[in-house]
Amino acid sequence: MKSSLFVAFCLAAGFLQFVGTVSAHHGVSGYDMDKVITVSGTVTSFDWSNPHCLVHIDVKDSKGENKDWIIELAAPTIMKRNGWSKDSMKPGDAVVAETHPARNGATTGLSGAATTLLKFVVNGHALPSQSQ
Amino acid sequence: MPNREAKFKIVLLAIPFFAPVLNAQSVTPSSPAMKQQSSNVSRVPDLTGPWAVPGGSPSLDPDDPRGARPEQLPMTPWAIERMKGVRPPFGAHATFEAVNDPVQKYCDPPGVTRLYLYPWNFSLVQGPGVVYILYEFMGFWRPVALGREHPKDPDLTWMGDSIGKYEGDTFVVDTIGFNDKTWIDQVGHPHSDQLHLIERFRRVNPDSLEVSLTFDDPKAYPKPFTVKRTFKRSMAPMEETVCSLTEMQSFDDEVMKTTTTQTPRK
Repeated sequence: MKSSLFVAFCLAAGFLQFVGTVSAHHGVSGYDMDKVITVSGTVTSFDWSNPHCLVHIDVKDSKGENKDWIIELAAPTIMKRNGWSKDSMKPGDAVVAETHPARNGATTGLSGAATTLLKFVVNGHALPSQSQ
Repeated sequence: MPNREAKFKIVLLAIPFFAPVLNAQSVTPSSPAMKQQSSNVSRVPDLTGPWAVPGGSPSLDPDDPRGARPEQLPMTPWAIERMKGVRPPFGAHATFEAVNDPVQKYCDPPGVTRLYLYPWNFSLVQGPGVVYILYEFMGFWRPVALGREHPKDPDLTWMGDSIGKYEGDTFVVDTIGFNDKTWIDQVGHPHSDQLHLIERFRRVNPDSLEVSLTFDDPKAYPKPFTVKRTFKRSMAPMEETVCSLTEMQSFDDEVMKTTTTQTPRK
């Protein structure tokens, strides 16, 4: 399955305010909360566990190389209250996900926390999301 | 009376699961202790919940809820020195993998007031002679004794010694006997073992609970200060939210160590 990485960004004054309202247990200073990128690829694992749910996505970069992206979500209890479940996705699913990327360029991103849940489309179907 | 105690234990165990459907506005005092201390009211307010903690305000400085200026809260030299050693996950001095937050690093108990800042629910279980406050985060709970005084020389504990009384529609909880191992909030404001905390719980409408927190800690803060937070009633039942060191270590290895390297605050 052809996968690709698309990078977009959102720079808005409102986002700077938004940064202070998002919380994970470890804070969000490792992620660039001013930027939202979109990654697309194939789910290789979906860990429904504390302290944060994690999605591993096999993503083909601009050089055609496969990269393992780790997308961090909120804890299972909070994801459940947002309408997700442990069955929301499974290995092999095609996924397009918005995420706040790591500041250091690592292939990690934050897509869900206490008060936000960015857009996730799995096999063409959008999962519940929310914005501040 | 054994039967009454047994019934109360059953109710205590059941309430977190059925609380969303318990919508009554008040409950009737059912023990001599409760009746005595609430003699000026015929009914006490139903504060059951569960109550959902809103996000976005990691600091309990009443003038700086986002923690943009953690040092602006007037502190004693003892507290200022203590604050210098703090590397918190939130606020202006937030750091990522260099955090020394004892909750994040060791799953230590967060202390009473930080439990109102994590995005998980809490419930009050108003039993005869005691009110239990149940916190979904890490499954913590604390008893608030009705109709007694504090011990003269209490043991110093993570959650302190709490006594409570009803004042009209407000439940007032008075706590002393804290150890000094916790922060009062997510940006690392400290407290000492002299902390005297007053919590005032009041249902401002059927779906909202106001909690007023007054910190009186002369070793850490030159003046007492009060901060209020309002919590919305949640329809979601309380569920398991644990802090497991093995899960935290796994997450640390997988995500935290690869995501960023930031210079710790000096």
